[in-house]
Amino acid sequence: MTTDNVEQEIISIISDVSGFDPEEIKPDINLQNELEIDSIKAIEITVAIEKKFKIQVRDEDVPKITTLRQAVELVNALISQKDANA
Amino acid sequence: MPKEDKEMYDAIIIGAGMSGLVCGCYLAKAGMKVLIAEQHYKPGGYCSSFKRQGFTFDAAAHSFGSYRNGGNLNTVFKELDLDKRIPIKRYDPTDIVITPDYKIAFWIDHNKTIQELQKAFPNETKIRDFITFMANPKPVDIAAMRKKTFRDLLTQYFTNDELIAILSFPLFGNGGLPPSLMSAFTGSKIFTEFVLDGGYYPEGGMQALPDVLAKRFVELGGTLLLSSTVRKIKVRDNKISGVLFGKDNFVQSRYVISNCDARRTFFKLLGRKIISEELLDKLNNMTPTLSMFIIYIGIDKYFNALPNPCSTVWFLPRYDIEEMYLDAKSKNKTDLTKYLLRVSPDGKAILAMSNTSFKNKQYWNANKYNLLDTFIKLIEQSTIPNLSEHIVYREAATPYTLFRYTLNYMGASYGWESTTEQFADPDLRKPSFISNLYLTGHWTTYVQGIAGVVYLGYDTAKLIIRKEQKEKP
Repeated sequence: MTTDNVEQEIISIISDVSGFDPEEIKPDINLQNELEIDSIKAIEITVAIEKKFKIQVRDEDVPKITTLRQAVELVNALISQKDANA
Repeated sequence: MPKEDKEMYDAIIIGAGMSGLVCGCYLAKAGMKVLIAEQHYKPGGYCSSFKRQGFTFDAAAHSFGSYRNGGNLNTVFKELDLDKRIPIKRYDPTDIVITPDYKIAFWIDHNKTIQELQKAFPNETKIRDFITFMANPKPVDIAAMRKKTFRDLLTQYFTNDELIAILSFPLFGNGGLPPSLMSAFTGSKIFTEFVLDGGYYPEGGMQALPDVLAKRFVELGGTLLLSSTVRKIKVRDNKISGVLFGKDNFVQSRYVISNCDARRTFFKLLGRKIISEELLDKLNNMTPTLSMFIIYIGIDKYFNALPNPCSTVWFLPRYDIEEMYLDAKSKNKTDLTKYLLRVSPDGKAILAMSNTSFKNKQYWNANKYNLLDTFIKLIEQSTIPNLSEHIVYREAATPYTLFRYTLNYMGASYGWESTTEQFADPDLRKPSFISNLYLTGHWTTYVQGIAGVVYLGYDTAKLIIRKEQKEKP
């Protein structure tokens, strides 16, 4: 999966969970403050990302995801780790 | 009948539980044409009350939390203009945990609670840190505990197993799991919303909450149908088309929101053919929470041995909640030695309950009244001496009763178990394979109690309203 696709997939997940339009979900938007991502939604997004990309997100990484950009970086890193281990 | 003459709705909500009612109010307020269909003859689900021989009993839910300024329930009631319509009181202390060695009260003033805990456990140095963290947790800190158990969280602060049990027991009652199995996420939510911000109660009994929401829903233009069972959710080209009442009464709707049992929604209302193998497997392997054996006692007068009205009393006979949980899961016995108990505001009605498994109808028919007597004796021995001398009315509800009134699978108290293993699947809230279908209530994700399901009703409505705005030409 290419980086662009990863971003599109994550935007679609965030849009589904938050109800905001995909076009409003910009790379540096603050998920908690601007898209009303509370603790339940943060977990819903994490679970959906794990399911979609077949990866495991560690608990300590969850607080690092405050923007879309960070989420994409984390998922890309986890995908390459997974590929390296495969 | 020509198609145009048939009723058509923007949204049909199945179930008038607290979550369905809140969702309905918000959708109706946004201008949508909404129908709520409830199979029972009154709204509320587990949040309801009934009258017998002049006594008013809450059926199951008996107080609520999250009503502080900014709390989810408070926000919803204010936004729906209900906060001034319904007098809500907070009782102090909200909870009291009694064990053979301790009596710890949880006060509205957290400092008082901290002092009480420090006095009882002088060697524990992080009591204040823990209560402070729980009183105002940051969303990310809570989200980051997804794979931890509540016991993992408690052992970061404490070493004394008796203290750990005392802090966990209200969560066993309010969430049906021992600390070593309950996810830290759910555990912290319950602790923050039910224990530290708990103890609220509406004038007239818990039924006042669904009643005022139902009234508001109708004022906002919604249609509430009681004693109306939805038989099928109809889907055309992977999109919601409406619901079926009875055999062939089809009512068209653009959205369906199911506030009823998850297995019922997927297996009965949608049908096994529509859902994926993967979800089918998942649902078949998921564990529901324990049910409850509940007793309702009417007494002749308030007497000295009774605890404060409206403080929830938790009686913990020993400190191994893990073992209590395994006992409660047993299919052939009912351990009532651990329980919660609450006296009504007028001091006349007592509600007591204990976690237990569903078993079957025959078991409860054979044992219900023996267990009712056993339960009263246990309460006399452990918390209220001479209780039986004052009893003028007694009745019990078994897990089968809970199932019969609410259709919750196996009479489950809180939907699926909030273990770290069966964490929320997005398909349980908003199935990806059918558009315009949503589920709300305690079977959909990791929230619990009235505060949790109210949040979900509000959130589900918000998702639908945003979707509508996007799709408007």
